[in-house]
Amino acid sequence: MPVSANDPVDVLIVGAGASGAAVAWSLAETRMHIVCMEQGDWANPAEYPTNYPDWEQRLQGENSIDPNVRGRPSDYPVNNDDSPISVVNFNGVGGGTVMYAAHFPRLHPSDFRVRTLDGVADDWPVNYDRLEPYFAENDRMMGVSGLAGDPSYPPKQPPLPPLPLGRFGETLAGGFNRLGWHWWPSDSAIISRPYRGRDQCLNLGPCMSGCAQGAKSSTDITYWPEALRSGVELRTRCRVREITLNEAGMADGVIYYDPDGEERHQRAEVVVLACNGVGTPRILLNSKSSQFPDGLANRSGMVGRNLMFHPVGFVQGLFEERLDSHKGPLGCSLLSNQFYETDPDRDFVRGYMMQGVRGGAGPWNTAMQGAASGRIPWGPGHHEAFRRHFDHTATIGVLCEDLPEAHNTVTLDPELADSDGIPAPKITYRLSGNTSRMLEHGLAHAREVMETAGAVEVVSVGPAREAGWHLLGTARMGRDPERSVVNPWGRSHDVRNLFIVDGSIFVTAGAVNPTSTIQALALYIADTMKKNLANLFD
Amino acid sequence: MSEGLIASDAALDAEQREILEPLVDTIVPASEDGRMPSVRECDFPGFLARNAPDFLPELTGILADFDSGFTTQPARLRYERVKAFSERTPESFNRLLAQVYGCYYQDERVLAAIGLGAGAPFPRGNTLEPGDLSLLDPVLKNPGTWRRHVT
Repeated sequence: MPVSANDPVDVLIVGAGASGAAVAWSLAETRMHIVCMEQGDWANPAEYPTNYPDWEQRLQGENSIDPNVRGRPSDYPVNNDDSPISVVNFNGVGGGTVMYAAHFPRLHPSDFRVRTLDGVADDWPVNYDRLEPYFAENDRMMGVSGLAGDPSYPPKQPPLPPLPLGRFGETLAGGFNRLGWHWWPSDSAIISRPYRGRDQCLNLGPCMSGCAQGAKSSTDITYWPEALRSGVELRTRCRVREITLNEAGMADGVIYYDPDGEERHQRAEVVVLACNGVGTPRILLNSKSSQFPDGLANRSGMVGRNLMFHPVGFVQGLFEERLDSHKGPLGCSLLSNQFYETDPDRDFVRGYMMQGVRGGAGPWNTAMQGAASGRIPWGPGHHEAFRRHFDHTATIGVLCEDLPEAHNTVTLDPELADSDGIPAPKITYRLSGNTSRMLEHGLAHAREVMETAGAVEVVSVGPAREAGWHLLGTARMGRDPERSVVNPWGRSHDVRNLFIVDGSIFVTAGAVNPTSTIQALALYIADTMKKNLANLFD
Repeated sequence: MSEGLIASDAALDAEQREILEPLVDTIVPASEDGRMPSVRECDFPGFLARNAPDFLPELTGILADFDSGFTTQPARLRYERVKAFSERTPESFNRLLAQVYGCYYQDERVLAAIGLGAGAPFPRGNTLEPGDLSLLDPVLKNPGTWRRHVT
């Protein structure tokens, strides 16, 4: 098929999700010609499940968080056969922020210094203090609700007051308090008050199917409107296959498929990858050439290696009193950092966060899950059991730090491909002994919280399979070109006009939902690019 | 048999309709205290026609597993028959269960009985109590040992 050349652009961003949107907005003030290509389309909030009486059933199928189940034309398949945790994502403007829970804690200062503090993995080449102004700027741009004063963090001031704790939050807080353990209202990328033209949260419940109210801060309604007003061009339904190189070894554009499926070449002076920790190595590994036979920017061999999830377990408690737990933002209420830091008395290094998760399930899901578990029978006894369970459950998610291990990888599947014929990613991942012990500790201690809070029954599961939300580490940053893919400000060691700004550049994972840190890093990299425009490729 | 069941279910013949009603009633009977209706009061065939017409062929196959004697059996024996069916063909039964619960837990009377508003969650929304932030007092008195100042 002939490849037609378009006019060159100054900056070409691949991916319009959390990081791509932030970079596009930040770079827009340079007045360069900036184009972002996104393989998906704009989400239509009028089509989100909560607009319909059968919203619970609509969470299945094409609204699933699992791309293999969702199977939209904009999705690419993922081979998870060799992993106990499967990848979940969303492909469209806003990326994963359209379907995330919007729990928005920052990485902690210690997360950037794990080698120095705990003798494992590597220190980051940036630290919390360096990123702090970008965290704050991102909080303002996204619209973050929270409460200042958390003793487990340096001082910070969320721009909006915290979301309601409700009976659910108060009940769990009582458990933490009786144990003398830390807890704090979560920083949440959900607006608790009207903010920048958006109305506040209505407590609908199922945030992860898209927010019909527009209160959840996904980048399609935060960064993108401002970036577009500033002149950034966003091309949807354009799927990038590979990055092309010129004879000097510099990126000179991308080959992509346009909305009609036509193969095209877009030339660019700078290429920025913002495709998450699976999509970015997929494109790099698919960009082979005589100069880079193992994939672009991969002289270190680190592209696709060190994949980190956050292995998650859940502990659910059943309470005699109603908790209003079907109401309110599913994943945003409170968190505990009691076991976040390394304790030499434990049999694992690093730690985990406990995250309050409201019941989440509406009546249909409650009945279906109850039938599957045997806790709510059909037939005689259904109504009594349903009354005992519905709105009477609380859940704690135990989110574990995953350390980088070279054998956890994203590679190209030799057979599976997307609708354009681009090889699909294959995930190879093993839960480490350290993480397994950490998860076991977390589940036991979350159970203790539930029992102390008054739960009459407690069940736990972990690691959860459909929990690969956080895709990190597969093109990590560092000072040493032999051991990292990008430098301390996101520029490829091997290709000096190629930048990576998504979660793949994480050196370690911490034990928090990563979007806040991904976006702060993206803003930091964009700012560094702006400050170095005159000698960007030196 | 209710008029609604006959009127909204053209895909099932009379014998199938006669079996369907006690079958779904066995899965979700009315509550003994009268607060919760049975599925038969929720127009299950109408729900299927609107929401899951593709399920009708499978439903027809399920109904074939139950002869006409099923309709006159006491509730306890009907329960045993349905239970045996659920154990023999769990996947098919789970799909039936999903539809029965889907119908039941969208019915306005059922939702009202369990304390929920009718229809789509948006734009109705929900009200949440803000919560008592003085619960944080013990946390603030215990600064902990977090390494927050590491740089």
